[in-house]
Amino acid sequence: MALSVEEIEAAMIAKAEKSPKPQLYIKDFYACAPDMKPREVKKIANALVTKGKLMFWSSGSTTMYAVPSRIKDEEK
Amino acid sequence: MAKHETPLLDELEKGPWPSFVTDLKRQAETKPECWDILGQLELSYKDRITHWKHGGIVGVFGYGGGIVGRYSDVPAQFPGVEHFHTVRIAQPSGLYYTTENLRALMDLWEKYGSGVTNMHGSTGDMIFLGTRTENLEPLFWDLTHDLGQDLGGSGSNLRTPACCLGESRCEWACYDSQEICNHLTQHYQDEIHRPAFPYKFKFKFSACPNDCVAAIARSDFSVIGTWKDNIRIDQAAVKEYMADNAEYPSNGGAHKGGDWGPFDIQKEVIDLCPTQCMWMEGDELKIDDAECTRCMHCINVMPRALRPGAEKGASILIGAKAPILDGAQFSTLVIPFIEVNKESDFEEVIDVIEKVWDWWMEVGKNRERVGETMQRVGLPTFLSVMEVEPLPQHVKEPRSNPYVFWKEEEVPGGWDRDVKEFRKRHAA
Repeated sequence: MALSVEEIEAAMIAKAEKSPKPQLYIKDFYACAPDMKPREVKKIANALVTKGKLMFWSSGSTTMYAVPSRIKDEEK
Repeated sequence: MAKHETPLLDELEKGPWPSFVTDLKRQAETKPECWDILGQLELSYKDRITHWKHGGIVGVFGYGGGIVGRYSDVPAQFPGVEHFHTVRIAQPSGLYYTTENLRALMDLWEKYGSGVTNMHGSTGDMIFLGTRTENLEPLFWDLTHDLGQDLGGSGSNLRTPACCLGESRCEWACYDSQEICNHLTQHYQDEIHRPAFPYKFKFKFSACPNDCVAAIARSDFSVIGTWKDNIRIDQAAVKEYMADNAEYPSNGGAHKGGDWGPFDIQKEVIDLCPTQCMWMEGDELKIDDAECTRCMHCINVMPRALRPGAEKGASILIGAKAPILDGAQFSTLVIPFIEVNKESDFEEVIDVIEKVWDWWMEVGKNRERVGETMQRVGLPTFLSVMEVEPLPQHVKEPRSNPYVFWKEEEVPGGWDRDVKEFRKRHAA
């Protein structure tokens, strides 16, 4: 049975909280929603950023995702 | 009065060339943080290492691109560049600005930033270099509300689409490059402003094969105008060029002033055709159009005599990238001809784009441009994904592997075999 959006969101946050590296690529989240197309997964990830559950980290050329508590804010 | 001694940078002010060091010193008269750019760069020259930290979390609310975080790793020494973020402003199609708009943009940047710009960045955006985090939201508000402009793309986003000036000024345009550029910019707002891919992805639209925006070299998805039928020839105008009529200058007069001697159609046009598909029959110019590779040389030299054909559209090439250090490559021709049709909201082109994205997002590795994914899997696989029949032009070199590998669907009955039936003829 396909996972609900809430279940996928919870899996993505859990993955971001437990992964060895704090920053994840969008592809790292694909496994959280095996039945979804990658473009749908990225929409869920970006919605989690809008909700404040994840944050973007960008080098300028690549963007990654992290939970706010695990990411270093250069200004603090 | 200089804030820092910069003997190494001062060397870059010598000689006849414009110097960014001179520009920054001038800018520092009104924006003191520019002294700290010079000071930090001087230190980098001495230490032979950058003093910019890499990346960050800064941005404006709702957007995941358009701002590139930059911080100094020696802020106590150079407080003016403690934060020095880059802001990318989406360029208008064809880079048409009014002077009023340019002044308003510069006023905005004087108000919220260092006043230092890069016109234009590689993607085509206007690059505003150097502001502090607290200035980002007010700048974004004024930019979007007062000037009606937007941030461009950065990170793993679709980058700001770019196009040539197309039909607005160019008689060779084979499709309306500005219209499709604007349409796709609106259509893919989510992909431009929020990360979407394993890495960056760029569209560029050139309306003819002269490729004035260098789409073939700089974009993952290059849409380059072309035509299906024959080059249109005005034989009377050809004769005027051959007679060296001053009203028919070669190259539209672009090289006027040099002592080139009388126009020589054999030497300057026919002999330079890369596929040698042109010749004279008496005083008539002939072209074997099936052999034409759309190099545009003959059309560029004799614009009053030769024009692109009437059945116009575009070729789609995929996979260019232009990193400075390693691995620059042109796009590969994938779709020789496609209609670029405003009436269908460019549906034909959008179908191709999304087919590429769906595949690349699945198969592409992290930080792998689509051209690298294509190289990794091989062009035959990519063509099969794109449902494109291979053409002779897709073949780069004769094969060096003697085996032919069939796909299951190419073999009658597939891979399934009736083993019992087989053993009747071949006992184990």
